[in-house]
Amino acid sequence: MTTATATTADDLDAIGDIPATADERATRLPTPLDLYSRWERQPWSVADVRVARDLDTWRALRPFSRQELLNALAELEVGEVCVTQTLSSLVDHAPNPDYQLYLCTQLADEARHVRFFQSYLGEVVGIGDGSAEGQALAEATDYATVFEPELRRTTEAVRTGGGDLDQWFTALAHYHLVTEGILATTALRTTRQLAKRLGLAALDEGLANVTRDESRHVAFGLLAARAGVRDGHRELIADAYLSAVALAVEVLVGPQRKTAAPSLRPALLQRAAQIETQWELARDRMIRQLSLIDLRDLRDRAERVWADARSAALDSYQERWGVEHPVRRAEGITARAKAKLEAERD
Amino acid sequence: MTEDDKVGRRVREIIGEMCPLGEREARSTDRVTDDLGYDSVGIVELAMVLEQEFELQPIDEEQAIDIVTVGDVEELVRLATAAA
Ligand SMILES: [Fe+2]
Ligand SMILES: [Fe+2]
Repeated sequence: MTTATATTADDLDAIGDIPATADERATRLPTPLDLYSRWERQPWSVADVRVARDLDTWRALRPFSRQELLNALAELEVGEVCVTQTLSSLVDHAPNPDYQLYLCTQLADEARHVRFFQSYLGEVVGIGDGSAEGQALAEATDYATVFEPELRRTTEAVRTGGGDLDQWFTALAHYHLVTEGILATTALRTTRQLAKRLGLAALDEGLANVTRDESRHVAFGLLAARAGVRDGHRELIADAYLSAVALAVEVLVGPQRKTAAPSLRPALLQRAAQIETQWELARDRMIRQLSLIDLRDLRDRAERVWADARSAALDSYQERWGVEHPVRRAEGITARAKAKLEAERD
Repeated sequence: MTEDDKVGRRVREIIGEMCPLGEREARSTDRVTDDLGYDSVGIVELAMVLEQEFELQPIDEEQAIDIVTVGDVEELVRLATAAA
C-alpha cells in the first residue's frame, strides 16, 4: 500500500494540530503518541517506489548533475546507516514509555531509509552495497569523517552510562536535532528539488516518503528537547547542540570533497548561489529549532558558532585542495565588483 | 568561415542541444533564460560542457560579461578561448 499524502515543500511546517492563537500555532508540537498515530497513517514500502524506472533518465544525466546527485545520495545513505545503527541506545534508555513507543516506530523507519538508498544506489546508480566502489564512496563522505564518530560516541555513552538523562539529551541533540533536523532535512529538500528538475520520478517519490518520515523524527527531537530544556537540562542541551552545529556546518561545507564549479564567471556565481542557498536553508532551520525548544536566547551565540565553523571549513577546503571554495571565489568577485563600482562613483 | 564564426556556431549548437525545454535550434538573439528555459542548474551544466569542449581558461574579471542572450555566451567563449 502506498500513501496518497503528498509531502509539501516542508513538512516541518505541518507538525501538530491546529491550535488557537498564532503564538501557539507557531510553537505547538505534537505528543509522542500523536507521532505514533501519524506513523500508522503514513506507511510506505521501498518496493512500491520501483526505483529501476529511473534507470534510463539516470544514464542520460550530464556528468555535473550525476555527480551532484551521487554525492548527495552517498551522504544520505551513510547518514541513514549510521542513525539505524545508533538509535537503539536511545530507545532502550528512553526517559518514559511514550518516548520509547514512538522511538520503536522510528527504528523501523530508519531501516526502510537504508533499504531505499541502498536499492537506489544498487539498481539505478549501479553501486552495490558492500562493493569496493560503494565502500570508497561512503568513506569519502563528510558525514562519515566529521559527524559519524561523534554520533557514535554520544549514543554509546547513553548505553555505558546506563541511561543517564544528561547523556540521553546530549545524544538526542546530535541525533534528532542536528543530524536529522539540520543535515538530513536540508539534504533531502535540495536533493529532491534536483531529482524533480532532472525528471527522476522514483527518486522524487522515494525522497518524499523519506521526508515525511523524517518530519516525524524531527518533531520528536523538538518535543523531547523542549521538555528537557524546561526540565533542568537547559545548559547541557545548549552546549551539546552548539558543538553538534559546528560539526554540521563542516559537513555542509564539505572540505573532504572537491566541489565542482565552472570557471566562467556568470555560471560560477550561479553555482555559488546554489550552494549558499542550501547553507542558508540549514541555518534558518537552526534558528527555528532554537525558538521551538525554548532556547531563543542562544541565537546570537549559535550564529557566531555557525559563522566561525563556516569560515574554518572554507579555510580547510582551500588548504586541502589548493584553491578557493567556489563560494569564496564568488564572494571575492562580488566584493571586487562592488569596490570597483564605489571607486567609480567617487 | 572565420574562427569566430566557427566558435559561435558550435556554441549555438551546444546551447540548442542542451536546452532544458528540449533540443532545438538556438539563435544568437535568443535569451538564454527567458526564451530557452535555462535555469541555474542548466547554466552550470552548460558552462561545464563549454569549458571542456573549448578548453576555456579563466578570463580577466574586467572582461567578464553577464549572460542574457545566446550571443553573450558566444562572446564569453570567444574571450575565454582568446585567453588560452
Ligand atoms: Fe532516516
Ligand atoms: Fe530519521
